[in-house]
Amino acid sequence: MDIFVQQLVNSLSVASVTILIGIGITLIFGLAGIVNFAHGEFLMVGGMATWFMAGAGMNFFVALVFAGLLVGALGFAAERCLFRFTLNRPMNGFIMSIGLSVILQHAVIRVFNEFQKSITDPVGLVWTIGGVDIIAMRAIVVAITVVIVAITYFGISRSRYGMALRASVSDRDTAELMGIPVRRYVTGVFIYGSLLAGIGGALMISLFPITPFTGSVIIIRGFAVSLIGGLGNVGGAVVGGLVLGLVDGLSAGYGYPEWTDAYSLVVMILILVLRPQGLLGGTLGPKAS
Amino acid sequence: MPMTDNSAGKIGAAPEGARARDRLALLTADNAAVPLPASVQAITAILLAALLIALPWLGLGYRFLSIAITTLYTAIGLYGLGLQFGQAGIMSVGHAALMGVGAYASAILSVQLDLGFWTSLPFAMALSAIVGGVIGLPTLRVGGQHYIIITFCFCALFVIVLTNGGTFTGSATGLDVGSVTPLPGINFDKLSNNYYLVLAALFLALAATHLIGISRYGRTLRAIRENEQLARSVGINVDLHKLGVLMVSGLFAGLAGVLQLYYLRHISPTLFGAFPSLYLALMVMLGGARYLYGPLIGAVIVNFLPEVLNLDPVDSRIAYGVCLLLVILLLPGGVGAGIKNIYCAIAGGSVTQGGGANGRA
Repeated sequence: MDIFVQQLVNSLSVASVTILIGIGITLIFGLAGIVNFAHGEFLMVGGMATWFMAGAGMNFFVALVFAGLLVGALGFAAERCLFRFTLNRPMNGFIMSIGLSVILQHAVIRVFNEFQKSITDPVGLVWTIGGVDIIAMRAIVVAITVVIVAITYFGISRSRYGMALRASVSDRDTAELMGIPVRRYVTGVFIYGSLLAGIGGALMISLFPITPFTGSVIIIRGFAVSLIGGLGNVGGAVVGGLVLGLVDGLSAGYGYPEWTDAYSLVVMILILVLRPQGLLGGTLGPKAS
Repeated sequence: MPMTDNSAGKIGAAPEGARARDRLALLTADNAAVPLPASVQAITAILLAALLIALPWLGLGYRFLSIAITTLYTAIGLYGLGLQFGQAGIMSVGHAALMGVGAYASAILSVQLDLGFWTSLPFAMALSAIVGGVIGLPTLRVGGQHYIIITFCFCALFVIVLTNGGTFTGSATGLDVGSVTPLPGINFDKLSNNYYLVLAALFLALAATHLIGISRYGRTLRAIRENEQLARSVGINVDLHKLGVLMVSGLFAGLAGVLQLYYLRHISPTLFGAFPSLYLALMVMLGGARYLYGPLIGAVIVNFLPEVLNLDPVDSRIAYGVCLLLVILLLPGGVGAGIKNIYCAIAGGSVTQGGGANGRA
């Protein structure tokens, strides 16, 4: 039983990173209408930046903030220089994001190298609660994710900006006529999603080592999470991330670890075919072209 | 695909005093729908064929010829992708996995049943076509981007299955095969003969692509690409056509995969994973999926660029990425479109105008 609880806590911390990238994708794909295949690379860049700054002696939590800002700036640049021009041709934007992911991956290899990087546990505490050992950093990762999810959820569902954003998704022309600067919202969502990827990357490297190729693995889980939950649906992404994280964590502990990656892929293909709008509903994303 | 062929009447018709901006627009337009004169098409085809046939005799060395073989079998796979994307508008980023189905089918037949190149080829191609059709089933339900994600998942899943397949698929180390069964008087162990084998297959792929492009079938596919609902409403069986083109694309991929297998003599799962698939998508976009020679141009650029510029693999991949971004932003029709437009600008008014059906550069 103790082992089960520990597996559960570990899975929760892994699920946190998955949820962060899933929320980023669900917002960018579902609300801004951009399929960004380089989102996983954004996360990887955030992790690498954290590794570099922590290696230079910076406090982890300060580095986390900087990593988030750096990747947010990267997202801003990508949206302004690239995706802005393909808003009417989502397919071209998708292909371009593949090119961007290849560039980022190899730029990181060029700047650092292709080997895996890790940092020492920034907190280094282990709490024992009722006979269960909990690594403090993992609990902190979960806590940070909970805060971010709460901010995002209420920002989208309750705030004025969230309402305007949802209005622009459901009817872009009318929203524009009502004076909503739709383009600026698209940029804003893109930056916010990228920022979450940067923070996710920083949290990820505090849990396990990452390589320049981590992004292309995690992107698939991010798409799986956002599609399970329904695009644009923050709550759905949380549920999706939890399900996927728990299945992964528990299958690594009990099932067939060599098939771990296959589960999320199979789940995703089935959902895409049977319920393209996601299990919990959401927008269908940009109109299929 | 909203890349409409809206400039059908403009090609080669630049007035004398056209402003620079108009000229630029002419050069970057996507004119796939405007046919070149038959004589130009024939001359291009003959020159290209002559060049490709003469290549081993130019004394360019073993390494050059090896890269040429890689380029050609990649191009065969790309012609399948070019058909499904360029004609029917269905993109895939899991195409290397389809090549892998062909390659692994042939390798497993060779290991388990001792079948050679020629006997296993039809089975491998048929299996690739069937798998292509099965993966294509979701296209009947979901649109563009969702389908791309499905193909990417399939590709990742394929690699996991191969890696966990035990001795049957050779796990992570892969499988080995012997050489191509010699035909009377032709031994394919010699590199130049292997080159001609792949070249012959490429000519088949080119001819098939051209014939599909000018046929009624090709026109129907383009109608579906431009407006699926309209095509459906005039009585076209959209589902059947979509599955059909994906199966044809699978046939090409299977052929390419078997050629790749017997050129390398050894295959492993990483050859058919996510990265090779992404590079295939990149090449077809780079070259221009709607142009007859587009996929070939894309394969040549991607395979020869690092060699010509003497780049190491990391730099060359950054270069591909940058090229892809530039092509999408500035030249959505691909390099094929650019070459055709430059030709039209030089040839000026001698190019016939009209809305003919076959878009060939």
